[in-house]
Amino acid sequence: MTRKLLERTLLLSALALAACGKGDKSRASGAASDLLTIGYDREPDTMNRYATHILEDIESCVVEGLVTNDEKMNIIPVLALEVPTIANGDVTLRTDGGMDVTWKLRPGVKWHDGVAHTSADVKFTVDAINKGDWKPESVDGFDRITSVDTPDSLTAVVHYKEVYAPYRLQFVRGTLPKHILDGKNIDAAAGYNRNPLGTGPYHVVEWKTGEYILLEAVPNYWRGAEFPKIKRLLFKFLPNTTTRINQLKSGEVQLVALVPWDKVRELRGLPAVRLNTVVGNGYEHVSLNQKHFTPFADVTVRRAMAHAIDRDLIVNTLLDSLVTVVNGPIQPLSSAYEKDVPSYPYDPARARAMLDSAGWKVGADGIRARDGKPLSFTMITQSGFAIRENVSQTLQKAFRDVGIDTKIRLIDGTSISSVWFKGDFDAMLHWWQSGADPEITLFFASDRMPPAGRNVNYFKDDSLTTLLYASDREADETKRIELLKQAQRRVASLVPELPLYNTSKVDAVPTRLQGFTGNPANAGPFWNVWQWQLTAK
Amino acid sequence: MIRFIVRRIVQSVPLLLVISLLIFALIHAAPGGPLSTYLENPNVRPEDIERLRKAMGLDRPLGIQYLSWLGAFVRGDWGFSYADGRPVLDRLVERIPATLELVGVACVMALIAALPAGILSAINRPFDKVSSVVAVAGISLPVFWFGLLLQLVFAGALGWLPSSGRESFDGGDLADKLGHLILPATVLAAALSAAWSRYLRRAMRDTVARPFMRAARSRGLSERTLLLHHALPNALPTFVTVVLLDVSMMASGAVVTESIFAWPGIGSLFTEALAKRDYAVLMAFLMCGSVAVMVLNLVADLAVHSLDPRTRDAA
Repeated sequence: MTRKLLERTLLLSALALAACGKGDKSRASGAASDLLTIGYDREPDTMNRYATHILEDIESCVVEGLVTNDEKMNIIPVLALEVPTIANGDVTLRTDGGMDVTWKLRPGVKWHDGVAHTSADVKFTVDAINKGDWKPESVDGFDRITSVDTPDSLTAVVHYKEVYAPYRLQFVRGTLPKHILDGKNIDAAAGYNRNPLGTGPYHVVEWKTGEYILLEAVPNYWRGAEFPKIKRLLFKFLPNTTTRINQLKSGEVQLVALVPWDKVRELRGLPAVRLNTVVGNGYEHVSLNQKHFTPFADVTVRRAMAHAIDRDLIVNTLLDSLVTVVNGPIQPLSSAYEKDVPSYPYDPARARAMLDSAGWKVGADGIRARDGKPLSFTMITQSGFAIRENVSQTLQKAFRDVGIDTKIRLIDGTSISSVWFKGDFDAMLHWWQSGADPEITLFFASDRMPPAGRNVNYFKDDSLTTLLYASDREADETKRIELLKQAQRRVASLVPELPLYNTSKVDAVPTRLQGFTGNPANAGPFWNVWQWQLTAK
Repeated sequence: MIRFIVRRIVQSVPLLLVISLLIFALIHAAPGGPLSTYLENPNVRPEDIERLRKAMGLDRPLGIQYLSWLGAFVRGDWGFSYADGRPVLDRLVERIPATLELVGVACVMALIAALPAGILSAINRPFDKVSSVVAVAGISLPVFWFGLLLQLVFAGALGWLPSSGRESFDGGDLADKLGHLILPATVLAAALSAAWSRYLRRAMRDTVARPFMRAARSRGLSERTLLLHHALPNALPTFVTVVLLDVSMMASGAVVTESIFAWPGIGSLFTEALAKRDYAVLMAFLMCGSVAVMVLNLVADLAVHSLDPRTRDAA
């Protein structure tokens, strides 16, 4: 026993020395221009893009969509030759109320095993999802497709039973390879789900559970043999934020996507790191649950609360001006964004006057009350977000200044969604991160309160609901945008929730990485990984 | 002896049944479920969530869910992970080697430090003063803080050691593996050895004060013989019990250490499964943990049996 212990002690001391040298070595190899090491905050559950609810970054390096969205949130073709529209004749409205969308596929694209990517794969994807014998994350849109015709190997005509406005993003997750998955139980197709066959610039070389996924460039990428420029991508799973940031500092990882805002200061001034900021497609706001706390049903109270908040102060101090103040749910990068909406500048005097006029009088304790009921509510928010906790305290003080009492309750990330899903809260500070499509029906239509949707304000307005559903059934992009702009004006005038600021996305990338742009929507920052390049030091 | 072991195993069956019912109730009582992350994502529609709830069998009454889990579990079918659809057994088994490696090395390191420290502080007053300060520090250092501090110093500032993972993806030789092991094992060993050295010191001092030691000393035995051949064997049974109980708690993974150092053991699987409310993985993990505690308890009893002749006679 003692001798074994002694041996182990010696071994451990020896390895300490050995490891010192090793640490330096891995640093050097990490800096090579053929390898990019990414500190990733989670391990994907699956690499099947249809079975995951977010377009995971790692997957998007392997499996390409027919389209994607670029850094300006334009929808651009990838495996499709062009994005179908009414103007280019690829979208036609049928007299029976349905629509037909023609996808022309890019010729010469091959799956990584050399088999051609064809319209049969598009048809197979729709059929596989609609068959319902496995668990794709979302069947949105697919459930409105009646059939797919494949007049030739590069043309797929998708027949919808009704107009579906977000049709352009129907195949943003790509297609499933028919020749691999036909006749298989896709849930159990571990081979595909852990190492999917794609058409993208990389393929999976190794997935070491709990540790990393290593991707390697494919030899004959369809954009040309010179792409991708970086030979290997290593995604290390580092769920602990501090560990991820520490590794960025030590050089063990070179890229960290979505740096939490409160860590940005730590990373400024690191010579090897550039902070890339894009305006995000999400917005932080306070949802006001009218059903649970009835005073929120009064528009005057809601407007007064909006006037009570100094959003510029919050953005400039707590958030280091990383984000910008916004006035509504559709973000500036979206083609449907409406700038000219009613806004509520910081004006506490006016807020007080409005609350007075609504019958909420200040009591002896400084809190307003009406008919013996105090204007006092609880605001929930997710714990573990340092900045969000600070913002909620600032809001608490702002509301207190106009006579409204706010209690803050922090709830952990897994639990909070079940709380709001039951509508069991007064107000909630949170954000929605949306896809590239500007649809907001799910958040504001009267019949979209949970569990039927995410109208967590429990807000009911018939004219807004009519506008939103009309926009969903409008295939003409220009007309749809006009409807959505009217809807934004209506939302801003009725303030069902208090919009605060846009959720910018900050990515930490090596200074010698060229071609990185970031991405505001859920296409993720790896959307253009094929053109990234690491320059020499 | 065999009868003793068999009796203990038989006794543990109803206990495990009660434990399984308790943990099933507990993890389902926590708010949220396997589908809660989907709720936050506007791209997954409520219709989809409802469809998935049905497909996963989460719409059934809890009692039925428990019974169907129990029925399958007893037959050796541990089910499929709610998160990635893979067999739960595969997910657990692939994580076990990493945890055994980390916990094993940490325990050895802790013993190397605790044994001499415990014995010395029992007999040497100045050393005892120093070691008690160190031990209190070791016990009270929060693991997550100590871990991050070591990362900052040894991986960040000095750059000597990798700050996370089990091996480099392109390395994987022995030196590389050991390099990855040092920091997490040190963090684990620090807390363990601090506590263990105090237990041993206490047990040694109790023994040294007993009359048979005085008698032995008066027979002219050397201090060394007194300590190692008379005091230590008498102090060991208590110490071994404490050590094995601690190890049994860690058999289910060093949850905090593994997640800070991204160590791919069952502890980090637990953290992940907890955040995703992956009921199937959580149940299997907690059941394995309970079994491990029971088994190591039994081992501790057997060890005391063999170390202490008095208990042997009694049995």
